[in-house]
Amino acid sequence: MKLRIAVAMLMIAAAPLLLQTPYWRGILIVCAMNVLLALSLNLVLGYTGQLNLGQAAFFAIGAYVSTILTKTYGWNFWLAVPAAIAAAGVLGLALAAFAVRLRGHYLAIASLGFAVITYQVLINWERVTEGVRGIYGIPPPPGFRDQLALFYLVAGIALVVYLVLGNLVRSPIGETLRAIREDEVSAASLGINAARWKAFAFGVGAAIAGLAGCFYPGFVGTLVPEAFNIVESFTMMAMVIVGGMGTMIGPVIGAVVLTFLPELLRSVGELRLLVYGVALTLVVLFMPGGLVQIGAALRRGPA
Amino acid sequence: MTVLLEARGISKSFGGVRAVRDICLAIPEKSIFALIGPNGAGKSTLLNLLSGIYQPDAGELSFGGEDLIGLPAHRRVRLGIARTFQKIRLFKQLTVLENVLAGFHIHHEIPAWQYVVPGAAAGRDRSRCRAEAEELLAFVGLAARAGERAGALPYGQQRMLEIARSLATRPRLFMLDEPAAGLNGAEVAFLLQRLEDIGRRDITVVVVEHNMDLVMNVAHRVFVMDYGEHLFEGTPREVQANPRVIEAYLGGEFQ
Repeated sequence: MKLRIAVAMLMIAAAPLLLQTPYWRGILIVCAMNVLLALSLNLVLGYTGQLNLGQAAFFAIGAYVSTILTKTYGWNFWLAVPAAIAAAGVLGLALAAFAVRLRGHYLAIASLGFAVITYQVLINWERVTEGVRGIYGIPPPPGFRDQLALFYLVAGIALVVYLVLGNLVRSPIGETLRAIREDEVSAASLGINAARWKAFAFGVGAAIAGLAGCFYPGFVGTLVPEAFNIVESFTMMAMVIVGGMGTMIGPVIGAVVLTFLPELLRSVGELRLLVYGVALTLVVLFMPGGLVQIGAALRRGPA
Repeated sequence: MTVLLEARGISKSFGGVRAVRDICLAIPEKSIFALIGPNGAGKSTLLNLLSGIYQPDAGELSFGGEDLIGLPAHRRVRLGIARTFQKIRLFKQLTVLENVLAGFHIHHEIPAWQYVVPGAAAGRDRSRCRAEAEELLAFVGLAARAGERAGALPYGQQRMLEIARSLATRPRLFMLDEPAAGLNGAEVAFLLQRLEDIGRRDITVVVVEHNMDLVMNVAHRVFVMDYGEHLFEGTPREVQANPRVIEAYLGGEFQ
């Protein structure tokens, strides 16, 4: 475990040394945010088995709440972060309160509806969000003005979240969540209040997505609703599934691969979307357990 | 003899089908109580009513003096009511050991958040549950398979794992829905032995079963249902001799 943490820290430390241009360092920051988002969705989708298509909404709530508090109300960024996390978490619980009775397709549609509503609110509540005009001139977090520092900050937070969630899923709480994923009736027969624990997973997942959202506006400098289009929720889901849902490292791998793959494919122009789509389909068809399956197969040795 | 679980006039209908009609029953503490009847007699529905998966349309239900009406299944487990399912419902992707560990949900000694920052208390709780889970697995003959995926176990062992998982909740009343279904002779003999052991642990056992050998060997009292209604109740010997029971089962073929 300690060795793994050391390796992870080394990889985070080394990445910006290999990718020195501002463009690639920007991609690195996006990658670290995507890791956070994939981790957040994995708790709900991978461990608790709840088909949540609205995760982008919590990312948006984190971004808007932190930005509005700092820009409009003059809050210190580091005070706005916990507020944004709390706002996303509370809205996650609120969605869960409505959605926990639902399963499968119905939950997917309800959560998708939540994302659509959030998007519409961001566009239409112009007095607060500036609507489609967007908010401009958002500074990076104080003390992390250059890209290198911001990358280390977000990647460091992602590592901490990874370790905390790792403890969580290996604890009895993890058994409880996975029991709900496998069979809710059975879980109830062991005294598990499925509604309550699903709400817990939704709330924690939403709070982590909200945390990721705090770093996005300062990195881009502007904030527009379009950044939190429904497609973003599907991208997060693709990261979780391609990497390997219900494992800790899978979504991290998925986030890294699906952040860099489209960039590497830029040379083939518009064809990249096609290549991206085909690659996704192939993984889902032939590796239903995600990319982590390769690692598991290698450990078992050649068949 | 004290009554642990008492039902007075409970009924349940699905659409127009009256699956359970006006059933009264009193399950004595520390006994093995069998629930039998032909297919479709309402046995599983009755079990679902007792365990809280369904709520009755009418009637009263109490457990150790506490009213159960309106109480959802997961809350009844905290009072000490555990059950297994007719169609096995394991957590298939979890290991055998994890299935049993999940059964300790209501018996952890520290608040849940403390697991996220593991300390000595979390470690102690973890090793205590693990030791207890391993004991339960040994009890049902699965000690050697703790690390395997539950869904990969042979059928008979899946049934035994479900029993171990339910026992982890430390029930006072343990209800099994057709535990012998699909088991071979040796497995039925092992199950019978284990049901008697569970009974000796002062756990009240309710067993819905079609395997008459098992019922006649293990049960202290037998409750017979037919068409959702109470037909007869008595000792295994009385049940075997009762002409109405024989008729319900054999359609009067032997008359």
